[in-house]
Formats: sequence, C-alpha cells, structure tokens
Amino acid sequence: MLDIQNLSKTYGNHVALRDVTLHAGEGEVFGLLGPNGAGKTTLLRIIATLLRPSSGTATLAGHDVLREPEAVRRVIGVVNGGMGLPARLTGREVLRSFAGLYGLNRAQADARIAELDTALDLGRTLDVRAGEYSTGMKQKVVIARAMIHNPQVLILDEAASGLDIFARRTLLDFVSATRQPGKLTLYSTHVMSEAEEVCDRVAILHQGVLVTVGTIPDILAQTGERNLERAFFALVRAQGKVAHAS
Amino acid sequence: MRPDFIWQVASRDLLSTLRDRRTLISTVLIPLLLIPLFTLGLPLLLGRLIGGQAQERQKVGVVGMLPESLRAALTRDERAPDGRVTRTGVELVPVKNPRAAVQSGEVDAALRAPTALPTRAGDGSGTLEIYAKLGNLRAQTGAFAKVQSTVEAYNRELAVQRLGTLGLGPQTLTPVTLAPIDVSPEQERRSGQLAFLIPLLMLNFILTGAMATALDATAGEKERGTLESLLVSPVRRSEVVAGKLLATTVTALTTACFSVLGFLLSGVLARAALAGEPSDLTQAFGGQLTLTPGSALALLGAMVSAALLISAVLIALSIYARSYKEAQTYVTPLSLVIIFPAVMLQFSDFLTLSGGLYTIPLFGSMVALLDTVRGNLTATHVLTAIAANLIGALLMGLWALRSFGREEVIFRN
Repeated sequence: MLDIQNLSKTYGNHVALRDVTLHAGEGEVFGLLGPNGAGKTTLLRIIATLLRPSSGTATLAGHDVLREPEAVRRVIGVVNGGMGLPARLTGREVLRSFAGLYGLNRAQADARIAELDTALDLGRTLDVRAGEYSTGMKQKVVIARAMIHNPQVLILDEAASGLDIFARRTLLDFVSATRQPGKLTLYSTHVMSEAEEVCDRVAILHQGVLVTVGTIPDILAQTGERNLERAFFALVRAQGKVAHAS
Repeated sequence: MRPDFIWQVASRDLLSTLRDRRTLISTVLIPLLLIPLFTLGLPLLLGRLIGGQAQERQKVGVVGMLPESLRAALTRDERAPDGRVTRTGVELVPVKNPRAAVQSGEVDAALRAPTALPTRAGDGSGTLEIYAKLGNLRAQTGAFAKVQSTVEAYNRELAVQRLGTLGLGPQTLTPVTLAPIDVSPEQERRSGQLAFLIPLLMLNFILTGAMATALDATAGEKERGTLESLLVSPVRRSEVVAGKLLATTVTALTTACFSVLGFLLSGVLARAALAGEPSDLTQAFGGQLTLTPGSALALLGAMVSAALLISAVLIALSIYARSYKEAQTYVTPLSLVIIFPAVMLQFSDFLTLSGGLYTIPLFGSMVALLDTVRGNLTATHVLTAIAANLIGALLMGLWALRSFGREEVIFRN
C-alpha cells in the first residue's frame, strides 16, 4: 500500500531525509518513531503531497505522490498536532465543508458525521463554534475531518501532542480501531509507549536516516531490550549517533 | 478548475468573515456612517461655522480716530429686503496696543491708521493697518473679512462721490465688466467634491473590506493550522486561490455596496439638511451625483475590477506572512497606494487625461470613477481601465498561485 524507495529531502544544506526505503501494507497501523527533527514530519508531508522529495519515489495505494498528487489526496486523511479549525465555524460546518470537497452530498455527509460522532464521542461539540473548543475537543474534530471521506490511508503526525489523558485515550483507542483490511494508518510519534500500544510495525528514524523497520517484538529481540524506548537508544547508539548527539 | 470546489473554499471563508463582528463593523457600519459624515456632516458643520461668523458681532479694536462714515459703515448691519440681518457689523472698541489686544483675544482684529484717513476722494491717501491672526480661518471669515469688504466699499463710495462732482457715473470705475459663463457640463457642475470623494472612499472601502477576508483566509489559516488540512484535500491549488479570491472580492464588493448605500443615504439627508444652505457651499463640499444607466454600469465595472485586483494583491502578499499580524504589516502600506493617487485626483484638472492614464491599474479606475461622477466618461476609457485591472488581477492571481505551490511559503514559520 505504501512503497517508498530511496527517498531523500534536503533544505539547502540541511538533509532532512536520507535515502529512506520502506514498505507498509494494508491492515496495518504503521509507526514512524524518532525524536523531534528525525524527519518524520518531512516524510509524512511528502506522502501527503505537501512537499516534493529531492530524490526517490513514493507510491501510496498505487498512486505516485509526485505524478498523481490529486489521486493520493483523495485516499488520505491527515491529522497533525498543529492542525486547527476555523474559530468561527462549528464542528458540523467544518465537517460538511470538507465532505463537499470529497464529493459527498449533504445526506451522505450527515450520515458520515453521525458515524464519526459515535466513534469519537463528539456529542454537542459538533454544534459549538471551534473557537470555544478545548484542545481535546479540537483534536477530535480534526480527526473527524480527516476521516470524513473514510480514507484508505490515515496519516497521524504527533496527533496526541498536547492532549489530556482522556483525549489521548480516545485517540489511541480510535487509532487501534482503524486497523482494518484495505486500510493503512501511519502513526508518527516521539512517545515510544504510544507506538508500543497501537502499532503493528514501526520504522525508527534518527537524523533523517532510517535506523530499522520491524514489528515491536522483533525490534526488542534484535536489541535485547525490554521496551521500545530502550531499544531506540540501543539502535542509535549502535550507529554511533547518540554519542555524536550528546 | 471546478466551480463547486471553488465555491466550497469560498463559502467557508465567507461564513467565517460573516461571523466576525469586527469585520462586519468595518464592512457595513463604517461606510454607512462615515460617508454621510464626510459628504454631509462636514459641509454642514463648516457651513454653520462660516455662516455663524457672518451673524456674530466681532470686536474690532481701534487705535486713534477713524472717519465717522467709515465707523458707521463698519458697525452697520447688512439686511435683506425683508429686513432680515444677513451680516452683522462689528463692535468697535478703543485699544492701545493692537498687536497685544489681538494676541490676548481681547479683540478679533484691530485697526490703526498711522495718519488721518481721507474722507473725500482726491484728499490724498492713507493706510489703515489691520491686525489679525491671518492664518486663522475664524479671523479670516469673521472680523478680517468684514473690515476688508467694508473698506473696499468705503473706497468705492468716495471714488463715486468724486466722480459725481466731475459729472461722471460709477461705471467709469469699471470700463470693462467680466461676465464668467460656466460651460462645464451640468453633471460636472453639480458633482462638486463628490467627484474626488467617491473614488477615494469607494476604493478605500474596497481595500478595507478585502483586507479582512484576505488576511484571515491566508495568513490567518496558516497561523491556525487550517491551511494544511485544505491543501491535503482533493482541491487543487488553483481552486484554493480562486476560492479565496472569490471570497475576498465578494467581501470587498459588499463593502463597496454599503459605501454606495452610504452615498445614497447622504443624498437623501442632504436634500433635507442642505436645503437652506448657500448653494456654493453645498457645491464645494458635497454636490450632487447623477447616474445614467450607462454610467452606473461603468461604475459597477470599475468597482468589480478594482475589487478583484485589490483582492489578488492582498492574497499574493499575505500568504507570505507567518501570522495575521505580520500580514497586516505587509498590506497596511497599500492604503497609501489608494489614498495618494485619489488625493491627486483633486488636481486632475491640471492633468492631461490622456488614454495612457487609464492603463494604470487602479489609478485608471479612479480616473474612470471621477469621469463617471462628472459625466465625462467614454466607453473606451472605462473599458481600458477595467482591462488594466483585470490584467493586473490575473498577474497577481498567478503570483499567488505560485506562492501557494511553494513549500518555503506554505511552511514558512
């Protein structure tokens, strides 16, 4: 479903991604792990057609991100921690507006909003203007907006950042529930415990380089560590990167 | 481009604008209040103030002696045939130091004759010094004006008396009388300051209205993190730009329509309020606007094309900003681009209005608006002005489109 081959991205002299190759299949919740600045957001923005790679290719659901950006955008839903909502519109108005962009008519949109209301427990949030939302309420509507067209690929980039414990729990449960045949969820985070809970396989990025890809048990076995955070340090230390960073 | 996608983008921005109370005030309320105030309130106020000076009896200090007939002329009230006082005389009070008396406000003006003034023509000449604050409008239109006109009348009276003794009539003083005949078209004669006020206010309100939506729909979206969600949807960049341009232009035109309503309101109020005012005053500060169907269409074309151009410029500039506030600093100087040329329109009589002027985007439409108000508009000129605006809007729209496709602009933070 997602095929990335030798993908690189540079900003002037800064290399944000270096020769990344990975694959994620349908029915997976695939984690992208790494500290801030590892290149996770750059990689996801390339997949979402917001950035152009400097070299390499990426194909999502059979569509090349460079050659068929519109087709890619039709099958993805994107959530990141910095996404907001128009303050003077209600959640329902935002969702209806985006449903229109995906070709849903009013009845289809309202039916889908009702489904998302149940799944995300939106309740009265839907009819309140977004300017009055708490961080958790806002993030729920942002996720609903990304899911309005029931996308094949859901991209979540640091989606839990800033959420309180309740909102974070709702989000993680929701992400787990996206594990369905024919669908792929890309879940980027720097919080390893989140990945341990929801991801089937993870890719660890550090300073723009792909350190490893695999299931969590495989990575733990490979490093001999008891959790993903320790495994991450072991892996980057092995590449001589932690010493360099400190 | 797909119209339904453009409308989806535009309607979201329009709804957001419509719910912003501050924007509503600046786009609806301000034009409705400010235009009547500028076109009607100021002339009325000024008219009352200047008219009030004619009715007020100012104090004029006198050092030494004045001829008795001149004193009588200065203090005499002027009356209309029905006995109504049209201009009061002044009150003469003795002072010792004319300069100090005026400066202290003890008197409005002061007179001093260093030598005795003649009481008959042919008895020599004299100088009458008048002390007044000459840069002060109140003094100019009050005591100074009254003394000046009275002394002129006094001189003429003495001259006429002298001519009479020689058997000559008063017409001897004016062998040639100049009779000005105004040949400017009726509409131009009636338009007064409206000719320059309408382009200035209309384009300024278009800018104000456009600014609210353009900044919110570009830099505001970036700041809130809502632009990225739009850009990962199936809508094309060209549709995003077109939708935002549409929303901005609609807001700008709404403001312009309310400014037209403001003018209409001024007209209705003017009929009632300025009925008794001197016509030259009404003419100088207000005037009357007469629109034919053709000129109304020209006005609309100039307005729509100017709104499109201004909206495109605002979107192209403000997408570069990281935040709404930063965008404000980019676009605020644009008001000078409108105000300065619009002020220059006051001196348009000195400009040779060649066809070339109409090819300058925005300025061409200002001149076209001026022509419309004055009734001098030609179809070629208005079409040139509209085309110049549309070409400008297209170029700025393409620039905006390029910016929306550039990573360093969209993710500049």
